[in-house]
Amino acid sequence: MSSLRSLRHCLALGAILLYAGISTARWARRAVHWPAHVGVDEVSLYERRFDQLRRALPPTGVVGYVGYPDPLAPPSDSVPSPALLHFRRYLLAQYTLAPLLLVEDTTRALVVGNFAPGAEPAPPGGFESAGEFGDGLMLFRRRRP
Amino acid sequence: MIVALALSAVVSAALGTLLLRWLWPGGGAPASRPLVAALGIGLGAGLSSILLFLWLILLGPRRAFPVVEVALLAVLAAAVYRSRRSPDLGEGRGGWLEGPARLLTPLFLLVLAAAAAAFATMLRQEPHGGWDAWMNWDMRARMIFLGGAGWRTAFAPELPWSHPDYPVLLPSLVVRAWLYAGRTTLLGPALVAATFAFAIVAVLVAALGTLRAPSQGLLAGMVLLATPFFIRHATSLYADVPLAFFFLATVVCLALDDRAGGATPRFAVLAGLSAGLAMWTKNEGLLFTACVLAGIVASGRRAGWPDTRRRLLSVGAGLLLPLLVVASFKLSLAPANDLLSTLGVERTVGRITDPTRYAAVLRAYGVQLLTFGANGLPGVVWPLAVFAVALGWQPIERRRPWARTVAVALALLLAGHFMVFVSMADELARLLASSLERLILQLWPSALFLGFMVTRTLEEVGGTEPAATSEVPRVAVH
Repeated sequence: MSSLRSLRHCLALGAILLYAGISTARWARRAVHWPAHVGVDEVSLYERRFDQLRRALPPTGVVGYVGYPDPLAPPSDSVPSPALLHFRRYLLAQYTLAPLLLVEDTTRALVVGNFAPGAEPAPPGGFESAGEFGDGLMLFRRRRP
Repeated sequence: MIVALALSAVVSAALGTLLLRWLWPGGGAPASRPLVAALGIGLGAGLSSILLFLWLILLGPRRAFPVVEVALLAVLAAAVYRSRRSPDLGEGRGGWLEGPARLLTPLFLLVLAAAAAAFATMLRQEPHGGWDAWMNWDMRARMIFLGGAGWRTAFAPELPWSHPDYPVLLPSLVVRAWLYAGRTTLLGPALVAATFAFAIVAVLVAALGTLRAPSQGLLAGMVLLATPFFIRHATSLYADVPLAFFFLATVVCLALDDRAGGATPRFAVLAGLSAGLAMWTKNEGLLFTACVLAGIVASGRRAGWPDTRRRLLSVGAGLLLPLLVVASFKLSLAPANDLLSTLGVERTVGRITDPTRYAAVLRAYGVQLLTFGANGLPGVVWPLAVFAVALGWQPIERRRPWARTVAVALALLLAGHFMVFVSMADELARLLASSLERLILQLWPSALFLGFMVTRTLEEVGGTEPAATSEVPRVAVH
């Protein structure tokens, strides 16, 4: 009877400790990869890209937004889902520029242009450039009538 | 800044712990200092979030909030001191360094240290968290904190993709941390995530240690910490882990209520408060609360109708404050829910009469339940099955009404999510892939608590403790 109890003890404990042991080893291995520098992740880099543009914008209010790639573009090897990438970049721009509200249209007085680095797109109809901030970031202002 | 952030955590934890000490019934009700402290951390955070929301509604994101909150804490501390209510909480059942716990306590601490180190590393690698964290929770927190008088823009219908109808416990706690720090910092959301992740582990360990045996709590805590998705997802800074905390706190309070045997309504009121805070965390909390109420009714035959009515009324009383806050948010700030707004009678009927959708969701459920927690072993369900079969059920605990209530509630919750997938999802495969594991995670600590409560302990099987010890005498508490 007591050996049966011991066996049950061992089985129960062994199952949990095996599971916990495997994960603990994985956690320890993960913790070894402590990054030397903080802020080199995609979102932090994206935020820094907007530093200059942010200073040229009003702190609050609503501005327009045009971005890239064209969400209706056909998928390619490098961009399997243009619509998703376009959306992600818009979301990151909104996160970075909050509390400013970014609306994906050109009905506002100011429009943020978020294009591929090196691109020189024409301003949307009725707008003129209000500044270039490098890395494909532009600001457009509605042309005065 | 670090000191200010630490103060924000200490203040909310003290608020919760003091309130619990004040409310905790005396006279031999199940209790322990670790359990009260662990529950106090999360419930305090929830109450701080409600305070901040009321502050926002009345005054906007004014920087004086920390001063007012600390003053409130001082008033509460004075009230508790003057009331001379200091229940004898004790340390729970048995020692943490006796019997099997003598071996398990250092092992648990080892797992905890490794998980905490991995948690910190992952957060340092991705300090903004996952996609939903920055596009939803923290974006909203930024809009509130930096928005000044225009903070309500955070809920503008122009941001439908950010789910502006979602309750604001998480963003408000991030805003609160920033108000203490005096500026936005990525340490704010990280602190909130760490608070809930490790408070869940503490509640699980302390509750099982109090109600069953320390070894049972330590083993359950190890399983939770070893569940890869739990730690990984906690660092994504989503609201699922805070939600899981409030689910677990509700379930623990229902178990405490059962143990108190109807002599006090306080644990059921706390269960209601906790369920209400779940509603204040995510919309899934609404479904959870409905399932808990249905679970109480379903277990009514065993508990008896007078006891069931008492429990329902007490849970309802606890729900009241958070329900009012959620209702005022939904009525005054939140736009329509994006899932609900896509519902049309024709489309919904088309979905719920489509057998392929049921098959797809059923298959996804099966795969997820069998592989959840895979870490090299194919899933956590397998070692848990070995554990349960080897030790067997604890017959008294298994038959308690609270266990039936929670089992029914969790099953209904899974069934409810099943029907949400079937009837509402436009892109079913994408939604299943992005949501199902998170939904299981929300239930996971509560399911572990239930499972370890109704399984015999090492002490009971080893004969070092009589099985009947889990039959705590029903005592008069007040």
